[in-house]
Amino acid sequence: MAIRLLTRLWSSIRNTAQNPKVLIQQLPYRGLQVSTVWTQPHKANERVAQFANFLCALHLFADHVATISSVQGPSMIPTMANEGEIALELKWINVHKLARGDLITYASPLDPSRPVCKRVLGLPGDVVCVDPTGTYAPSTEHVVVPKNHLWVSGDNLAYSRDSRVYGPIPMGLVRGKLYARVWPLRDATVFPSNFDFID
Amino acid sequence: MQALRLVRLPWTRLRHSSRDFLAKRPTIHWLLSALVWLPLGLFVTDCIANVKSIRGRSMQPTLNPDDSQWRDVVLFNRFAVRILHKYNRGDIVALKSPVDSKLIVKRIIALEGDVVRTLPPYPDAEVRIPPGHAWVEGDEPFRTEDSNRFGPIPLGLVESKLSYIIWPLSRMGPLGQPVIARPDARRGSPDWRKSQADLEREKWRNSRVTLAPESSSLSS
Repeated sequence: MAIRLLTRLWSSIRNTAQNPKVLIQQLPYRGLQVSTVWTQPHKANERVAQFANFLCALHLFADHVATISSVQGPSMIPTMANEGEIALELKWINVHKLARGDLITYASPLDPSRPVCKRVLGLPGDVVCVDPTGTYAPSTEHVVVPKNHLWVSGDNLAYSRDSRVYGPIPMGLVRGKLYARVWPLRDATVFPSNFDFID
Repeated sequence: MQALRLVRLPWTRLRHSSRDFLAKRPTIHWLLSALVWLPLGLFVTDCIANVKSIRGRSMQPTLNPDDSQWRDVVLFNRFAVRILHKYNRGDIVALKSPVDSKLIVKRIIALEGDVVRTLPPYPDAEVRIPPGHAWVEGDEPFRTEDSNRFGPIPLGLVESKLSYIIWPLSRMGPLGQPVIARPDARRGSPDWRKSQADLEREKWRNSRVTLAPESSSLSS
């Protein structure tokens, strides 16, 4: 399928580029019928190319601007259900302007092809208690989050693999930020920050 | 019907005026119709391959050797990394530095499960690479900031894999094949000495890595 699409694309480019001068002579210049090589005849082929172009634009938008993504797994349970919820994810973010309490998505350090969602707990320079429950580390152990790293944690500590397991994550891994829940409709909200200072 | 026509009127007028405007200025028209295909181009540079020039000396002598007048211009393969997620020992990759998120070019020395003997700035003498991580180093041990400073890196930081040197012409060609002693070069000639040095460096690099046994890499 993909190969057929590619050959179709290639032939469309080749056909139209064969002899641009002749084409221009045949079709006198008028209005929107352009003299450019790539907007010339062979309509069917051109449609395919345009469709591919459109798909590329969609992909780029979803990769760099915003997308809707379904969230699965028990690690964020009070915030997101185990399955069946869809969230609006912003990809056009400034990683250095993330705040404590933001929900972020990042490529898992354990498996680069797996995007995961967790909550930011510590920014660079913060002192974080590694594990208050004492399962992964003694509950008295504290670390300083290094420069350009984030300390992340799931909301459901019992079922979450997060910074307690693999330590602070580099900001380069961050892919986006969950902004709002859009499905199911009756629970649709903009995620509030649950971060609070305690005196 | 009349109302519809009234609504459409400004649009038609705008369309006609823009058509006239463009008909008088073919260059602008050409540029605009080229702009329509921008997403296709961006997609290729984002997901398939892109061309970049290399700055700095950390990958000498593989890239930017001292006897070269120019910065190397190379082709990075993004498809193999971003979509196929294939990583091999010995690949030269571009990754976001964990220290400041800038793009750096380094060589993957070891993958998950391997044991590496580290070089001086690193606190431990030996490291076992955790799952999903890699050990990256520059080819020039004195002028590089690599895993010996910041430890094993998650593979998610890797963006693309260097696959072809485009410029300078004298070293143009694909990268990533194992180094072989050049049979055509005469013993003692500069070419021969260079390939011998390459071989020796690779041998030294490999001697510091104990590969993970196959069974453990399968199970993890």
